Amino acid sequence: MDDKSIANMAVLAGEIMLRSGAETYRVEDTIKHILDTAGTAETESLVMLTGIIVTIDRPGQEAVTVMRRVHERGTNMHRIVEVNEISRKYCARELSAEETWEKLKRIKGKQYTVWMYNLATILVPAGFAPLFGGGLREILAAGGAGIVLAVLMTIGKRVKTSAFILNILCAVGVAVAAVLLKLWNPLLNMDTVIISGIMPLVPGVAITNAIRDTLRGDYISGGARALEAFVTAAAIAIGVGVGMALTTVFWQGGGL
Amino acid sequence: MMELFLVTVGCFLAVVGFAVLVETPGKYLLQAGFAGACGGGVYFFGMQKGLDTVPACFLSALVISLLAHIFARIFKAPVTVFLIAGILPTVPGAGMYRAVYYIITDDRARSSYYLIQTLEIAGVIALAVFIVDAVFRIKIPRRQEKDRS
Repeated sequence: MDDKSIANMAVLAGEIMLRSGAETYRVEDTIKHILDTAGTAETESLVMLTGIIVTIDRPGQEAVTVMRRVHERGTNMHRIVEVNEISRKYCARELSAEETWEKLKRIKGKQYTVWMYNLATILVPAGFAPLFGGGLREILAAGGAGIVLAVLMTIGKRVKTSAFILNILCAVGVAVAAVLLKLWNPLLNMDTVIISGIMPLVPGVAITNAIRDTLRGDYISGGARALEAFVTAAAIAIGVGVGMALTTVFWQGGGL
Repeated sequence: MMELFLVTVGCFLAVVGFAVLVETPGKYLLQAGFAGACGGGVYFFGMQKGLDTVPACFLSALVISLLAHIFARIFKAPVTVFLIAGILPTVPGAGMYRAVYYIITDDRARSSYYLIQTLEIAGVIALAVFIVDAVFRIKIPRRQEKDRS
């Protein structure tokens, strides 16, 4: 394979990882390993949260540079693991460059059915309720809030709204569900239900990655991820606030 | 004791659920859940024994990142796979929500209390992750040198 194809392959691997929420230094490492395996003389990779630049420079030849802008990011551990395994095999020379390219192209996104996701969305709030001081009543109520959340998230994925709006809407749903359940059963600890309910939305991934990137010295990516976490947190907080205020206005006696 | 058991089981199920949401491969689901359950259990146990929230979070984050690194070495997968889902019980989602809740109810004293607590927890998690990261990074070059020789 020529330099250009190898640079393309490295960028493809990096792009998949960056889109799936890998830490920036890991993406740079993987790209560097792939380029070095090809025996290129001078290689450099610069990865930021929003894009990748890769350069191969052989003495006496013109440098090959490939740049890729990465727009949307989610979290997908499956793809990170796959790219990791493929690049490891490639670097151990168990795979040829062509096979690696083919395998990278064929990495799939989803591996669970919609029902599994919905079940997981219900399981997360219900499971966290005891940690926040809930009993059986709160576990069931949190599961109920989880059902609302699952419905909203499934619809949101179909409609493809921006993540910010979707987070607000989901938090509104959780808050409204919690307040209504509280009205129905006054013994319920609404605080616990809401906190458990927003756990699937909480920007834990962004916070963890921000910490790890910053500690490795990737300040641009670390700062960007910290901002990402803050924006998500603000969206959830706005959503919960709006949800509680709405129900207080429409159903007297509930809410704040 | 009963409560601790309930919390640990709950955290296990919740973290497995979250792991599904972030598309963790099926073969790593249980390990991620185990790391999360240990972290949640340690946190709750610390709180029961009268520890403050912040030190309890520190211990819990320490346990989780230690387990995540060990699992990553055993199962040859990136640390992120176990860390992201496992750290969820410790991540300051509750504090963040309370900070805003008290802003809405016009209770600024409590709101700033929870805001600062959230920042403290985030910092403490960073510290725990950093300590374990640093410890495991010392080991890596030695192993590779052994392999080469």
